Amino acid sequence: MAETPAFHGGGSAVEPSSSAARLRKIIPGREYWRGLRPSVAREYAEVFGLIGAVTWLGWFLPVSYHVFGHLYLLIVIALSVRVGRWPVFVAAVVSGVAWNYVFIPPRLSFSVLDIDDALLLGTFFVVALIGGQLTARLRAGAGRARQLEQRATALYYLTQALAAAKTVDEGAVSSLGQADDLFNARTALLLAPTEGRLVPHPASSLLLGDEELAVAETVRRSGRPAGRFTDVLPTGPVLHLPLRRGSEVVGVFSVNLGYELEQLSSAQRDLLDGFAAQIALLVERESLRAAGEREKILAESDRLHRTLLDSVSHELKTPLAVLRTAAEKLDTDDARKRASLVGEVRTATSRLDHLVANLLNQTRLESGTLRPQPDWCDARDLVASARRAVGEALARHALRLELPADLPLLRCDAALMEHVLANLLLNAAHHTPPGGAIRVHAGTDAVHGRIFLAVSDDGPGLAPELHATLFQKFSRGPRARAGGLGLGLSIVRGFMLAQGGDVAASRSVEGGACFTVRLPLADPGLVPSDEH
Amino acid sequence: MSTDPTKPEILVIEDEVQIRRLLRLTLEEAGYAMREAETGRAGLDEVLRHMPDAVILDLGLPDQPGIEVLKQLREWNPVPVLILSVFGQEGSKIAGLDAGADDYLTKPFGGGELLARLRALLRRIKPAVATSSFRFGRVEVDFAHRRVKKDGHALKLTSMEYALLQLFITHRDKVLTHRQILRDLWGAKAEGQTHYLRTYVLRLRRKLEDDLDAPKFFQTESGIGYRFVCEADEG
Repeated sequence: MAETPAFHGGGSAVEPSSSAARLRKIIPGREYWRGLRPSVAREYAEVFGLIGAVTWLGWFLPVSYHVFGHLYLLIVIALSVRVGRWPVFVAAVVSGVAWNYVFIPPRLSFSVLDIDDALLLGTFFVVALIGGQLTARLRAGAGRARQLEQRATALYYLTQALAAAKTVDEGAVSSLGQADDLFNARTALLLAPTEGRLVPHPASSLLLGDEELAVAETVRRSGRPAGRFTDVLPTGPVLHLPLRRGSEVVGVFSVNLGYELEQLSSAQRDLLDGFAAQIALLVERESLRAAGEREKILAESDRLHRTLLDSVSHELKTPLAVLRTAAEKLDTDDARKRASLVGEVRTATSRLDHLVANLLNQTRLESGTLRPQPDWCDARDLVASARRAVGEALARHALRLELPADLPLLRCDAALMEHVLANLLLNAAHHTPPGGAIRVHAGTDAVHGRIFLAVSDDGPGLAPELHATLFQKFSRGPRARAGGLGLGLSIVRGFMLAQGGDVAASRSVEGGACFTVRLPLADPGLVPSDEH
Repeated sequence: MSTDPTKPEILVIEDEVQIRRLLRLTLEEAGYAMREAETGRAGLDEVLRHMPDAVILDLGLPDQPGIEVLKQLREWNPVPVLILSVFGQEGSKIAGLDAGADDYLTKPFGGGELLARLRALLRRIKPAVATSSFRFGRVEVDFAHRRVKKDGHALKLTSMEYALLQLFITHRDKVLTHRQILRDLWGAKAEGQTHYLRTYVLRLRRKLEDDLDAPKFFQTESGIGYRFVCEADEG
């Protein structure tokens, strides 16, 4: 049996495509498919050679012609265990003729046989018949055993190759390559998607015409083989076998057997069926794996949803609780208390407002519906609107603006930029203790052609382990005071990228955190002058 | 309901009943009479029948987009319209203003804001009082002589700056979109040139505002336009 070093350490260690290539050279089942036919010509050559040799040698032996009769009998017996039924019969005939013509006196002419010689000659044929029969039977038995062994081996190697394949594609490449060699025919693998027509796998060596594809479709629908050597549409040269997975047909395996093969033995048919079953297994494995991947993705998004729901409901409930309590207490006559309650209500509503805004912004970012409308903007305007939007959250911090008088206009989407700055301001307010200083400064970087705005604070600064996840959604600093969803910076980044800019975090001069947003520097062109 | 003919009548077209109740509370307390409609169709009927002094129109109505209601209304009626939109719809706000709305408010909004907007809208249709001068903050504008003074000192304004200031004062407390201002001052082909505006508003602020970083009068409406806000003294 062929040895395959390729699979010693388990197929997975070997690169599948190269193992497929190696396998092609050592196809163990090939003989089996093509049938056991030791050359008939060789057997006849043996017959004539042996008889010729004995006849020629005997010519010089000075012994009675009876001896040669027995010698020929011996030859027929010997041949009967070596060659097939017909060659041994021929051997009996030739031996008889040679004995009579060459040895029975008168030599070199046919003579009428006496009863003894006739009986001996008769035994030639009896021996030939019996021996031939026995040999044929023995041979058939041995052949079957070998066939079984070879079939098992062929399927074993196929299984190995398929097991090593990580995907249907890899498996198809190696198994179809093997099938081509093994069956000495072109083969095709047609995969059945849940909807639509069968899709030929690109590794197929057999291109199916429309007619054959139609036959394959009937196989897929009926789940029964069709084409050559079957009852269904047997006119074409191609045999189509269904790849079954339970009651479902996951694909069709097609072999172009051609017209030379007159019939398909049950052994050959078994091999084909085995092959189809193995490929079906591979397809099933692949679809199971795909289902597993889907499951994983679903679980992951499920986890995200839970996180989102948990924190969103927490974030929503706090201001709602404030609102409800305040509403109940507003009945009081104490004017001072009422004023403070109104203040609480305001804070709660602005917190809710900001939360909803961030959720909507994040959704817009993720749904890909964000279409920035770039326009010329004055940095001062943006900062002023952002301050207005943040409102009271900044009341307890000292805000310092350092915007140079000659700062060029920014090319950006004003609404997005306002959210960016509002989020940065809120972020700074959240991470610095009350009374802290927040500084907004701006400038241009002529070398890189950029204009930047930076929001810095004198708070505790950024924890180094935070840098990696800073701009990811739902990422919150360990020292964040108030709640928050951890969406602010993720939105800042998303909005800046959408506008062709970026954002970076660093340590501020004051020792706190500094967030710098940058945009490409752009020139708006001249403004018509009316100064004389 | 019976309405007092001396009170300005406001029609609210809004499908959220809670918002309508709060608006009623706010408006009636401020001395307005209020009518309400739940759908655009009903709203248009109300306008036809009662000729309100101003309309508050929600952009998200159940039967048709508010913007469609506005367009149909504008085909035959110049009544001042204040549109209500929700967060993140800068585009629809601009579309509403371009379609003839006079101002906008973003939900959630405060009662004070709403009343200020309404006052500005209703003022517009008051018979024009021939004013010769206008005063805001420390600035005094003399229309007759085209002179501007701050703290009593004359300021030099270019003709374009003056025209812009005049436009703002005419539409004080009301939003002006970039397009409206650009078309008015530089003509229709300058409509996209927002940087003209940025430059001129900055110049006006430099000359007239006290704090450049927190402008009090010439306020920017992000992505939409400007609003000139003042406690006006007309003389």
